[in-house]
Amino acid sequence: MKAIEEVTGTRFKPVWIVALLALAALIAFPLLQPDDIYRQNVLFQTFLLAVGAISWNIVSGFTGYVSLGQSAFLGIGAYTVAIISIRNGLDPFLVAPLGGLAAALVALVIGLIVMRTRGHAFVIITIALLLLFQTIGLNLGSLTGGSNGLTLPLPQWNVDYQNFPFYYSMLGIMVITHLFSMWIRRTKFGTGLIAIREDEQKAGGIGIHTTRYKVSAFIASAVFMGIAGGIYAYYLTFIDPRGMFDILVSVSIVLAVLVGGRGSIWGPIVGAFIVQPLNEATNVYAKGSQSRLVFFGGALMAVVLFMPDGIVTTITRFFRDRRRRGRGVASLVQDAISTERPKLTVLRDQEADPSSALLRVEGASKAFGGLQAVDACSFEVRQGTITGLIGPNGSGKTTMFNLITGMMTPDSGEIEFRGRRIEGLHAWDRAHLGLGRTYQITRLFRQMTVLENVIAPLSEFRWRQLGADGMHGPEKDKALELLNYVGMGKFGEERAGDLSFGQQKLVELAQVLMLEPRLVLLDEPAGGINPVLIERLAGLIQDLNQQGITFLLVEHNMPLVLKLCDPVIVVARGSRLAEGHPDEIRRNPLVLDAYLGEGSDDDELEPEAAG
Amino acid sequence: MEKLIQTIILGLLIGGVYSLMASGLTLIFGVMNIINVAHGAFLVLSALVTWEIWKTTGMDPLLAGLITTPMMFVFGWVVYKLFLQRIRNSAPSMTVLLTFGLALVLEGGMGIVTRNVFRSVTPSYFSSSFHLGPFFLPKPQVYGCIAAITFMVLLYLGLTRTWTGRAIRASSQNLSSAQLIGISSTSVAALTFAVAAATTGFGGSILSVLFTFFPASHYVWISRLLGIIVLGGMGSLPGVVIGALALGIAETMTATYISLRWATVVFYVVILAVLLVRPQGILGVKLRQDVAVA
Repeated sequence: MKAIEEVTGTRFKPVWIVALLALAALIAFPLLQPDDIYRQNVLFQTFLLAVGAISWNIVSGFTGYVSLGQSAFLGIGAYTVAIISIRNGLDPFLVAPLGGLAAALVALVIGLIVMRTRGHAFVIITIALLLLFQTIGLNLGSLTGGSNGLTLPLPQWNVDYQNFPFYYSMLGIMVITHLFSMWIRRTKFGTGLIAIREDEQKAGGIGIHTTRYKVSAFIASAVFMGIAGGIYAYYLTFIDPRGMFDILVSVSIVLAVLVGGRGSIWGPIVGAFIVQPLNEATNVYAKGSQSRLVFFGGALMAVVLFMPDGIVTTITRFFRDRRRRGRGVASLVQDAISTERPKLTVLRDQEADPSSALLRVEGASKAFGGLQAVDACSFEVRQGTITGLIGPNGSGKTTMFNLITGMMTPDSGEIEFRGRRIEGLHAWDRAHLGLGRTYQITRLFRQMTVLENVIAPLSEFRWRQLGADGMHGPEKDKALELLNYVGMGKFGEERAGDLSFGQQKLVELAQVLMLEPRLVLLDEPAGGINPVLIERLAGLIQDLNQQGITFLLVEHNMPLVLKLCDPVIVVARGSRLAEGHPDEIRRNPLVLDAYLGEGSDDDELEPEAAG
Repeated sequence: MEKLIQTIILGLLIGGVYSLMASGLTLIFGVMNIINVAHGAFLVLSALVTWEIWKTTGMDPLLAGLITTPMMFVFGWVVYKLFLQRIRNSAPSMTVLLTFGLALVLEGGMGIVTRNVFRSVTPSYFSSSFHLGPFFLPKPQVYGCIAAITFMVLLYLGLTRTWTGRAIRASSQNLSSAQLIGISSTSVAALTFAVAAATTGFGGSILSVLFTFFPASHYVWISRLLGIIVLGGMGSLPGVVIGALALGIAETMTATYISLRWATVVFYVVILAVLLVRPQGILGVKLRQDVAVA
């Protein structure tokens, strides 16, 4: 018990009693009913389906990439093990880990390619890959035996053991896969995967190396499937491409996860234990493979239409809502925001030289079709300042932010941060250099808790860090300190999507601070929130600035800009119009023109038509 | 050289037929951002009905297209109203799963109702050809291609010359603007789906003469059609014609010069390559959601 708690990091919950009892029953079953071969076989198939479902859930539930090619890893494992053990006369059980290795290698290679697509394209590409593997398997007869298939050696063990070795090894793989999936969910890696599912672009912006994360998830979903495939091949003793690269196997995996609850920890295993027995029932009561097709297809449609969230998710939601009802919503009201502002200990030392340019934009341009959103714009943000960036609506401010943070690439021009050219870097590399941003409309990961949101950012990338515990230890302490700092310490366990807009802005600020940023870009921090909170935000910005963080601020609330910012940069029609102390800007005739719309080249524009 | 030209002629003829079959798929994607994975199963269903009509009455299969077209129109409308309308706001992957489920049900259903065997419709002109100098043009291919082009022209006229057609095209170009000027998105979607299904009606009748088929053939067909619309640019009607002709030629070339067994692989490779290198296809508009930020 202790061991499980250590591996998974979860507190002991009632669900574990049920799970351990069920496991004990599954271990005991063949010993108590040694003659019930049929049920043992059904259970073996169920374990196999569960391995597939748990694995698929890592890439499709956690990461949000729905694949219909999961059974390809089963086939690759099966063929690897079959070919190696036949050619070398080895025991397939010994070779089975190689099946996992082969599946992982294939996942690495195709992951690097297919993870560049998403949505429709990703689903299609996974179907195409599966069918491609099947065709290759059929056509490469010398290696795979083509449509004649391959026959493995029969098991050599004493007949008294029956199929026990198959039964227990598959049960073992299922348990390991499940613990592996639970462990992933608790790590920073797992938090990163959920972040990618919720908002991939934003995830990149807070320092998550999305490519490596997605490919790693793809590999994680392949390994155990490959090992299971090897054992499955031995169990069947005969494999052929149509059976091994079968899209119906993928469909039953998808079905099991959807029934159980996509993205949940226990959903896939619960789903497998529902779907496989039903599948057996259709085999028995409705003869023939055609009725199985109707069953699987109909079940898939029904689940998508009527129960897309699955059983486990629905049940957990029910209990969560009931718990919350007892506690009331008091904690979600505005008053609960703490106004204390504890001193921060977690920010990194900022580079001293206050006069140097931290960020330098030189002639940056970006066009959308015929619209020149940013037009040869140049400006600097000096170390230690709170620089304001103002301009009429549509003058290219947010596009400028997107160019700086890497959400878009400039058509031309240079962007330099801390003396390094960054316009070609990925968003996560820029985040690792110390560049953070918030959004005009907050983009928190809505399904995560507030605390998870703040833990998610990564100020650097190390492979080792993927396995770091995401829910405990120094990362959690750091996140809690930041949440307390912005006054949201009491909300750690709330779902981010339940917060008010203003509260989300505070959390998003804490999230950015987790990056230990040197420069923070704030996109309309005061937009859409109440005056008290604006005051509070202004205080936080000033305080953080005194602790060494530089800010670039886009804002329409002029009193706030004039109070906080020096210098203020004015942009209009995509390029810099003026720059200076707020008092100069306020009196600058060019700026007044731009804001009132009396463009000097628009002579036909009547004054009353303006602003 | 003669062999090459002959191969290209056959490729173009078959490409013309493919373009009709794929036009519905691209139309649905353009208007409602759904990939109808059951499109291949629709085709096979219509082919099967054509076979039954031909078997029982002896009616010419291309003439039977005049029956299967309205039949599939109604079928498509019902399918949309019963299933797709309920999840039109879900994630794209969910609509793919739904239509995939539908394809499986159709495959199984066809297998149960008719015996699960290979079929093909063999009218009198089945194995005869027109001769043009040293080249031959198989009559079924020629008739099928002409019928497909006629149907495509009618479809094009319908989309450009009628109010309904313009509503469909407007919705495919900018759904929210179309809604703003008073186009009801649900009825346009249902209509589009029905029209797209109607193309599989005629397409399936042509299929029944040109190919042998059985219920599970729909996997091959959906792969072909996806390859075509991915290459041409998803949602683009002119793109479909380009993609269909290009892949028709590529397929016959592979079959002639390499091996028939590898001919279908062409489509999988094209899908993979295009989605990776130029996800918007030849004529498609770049969809930001289909490309990960990597």
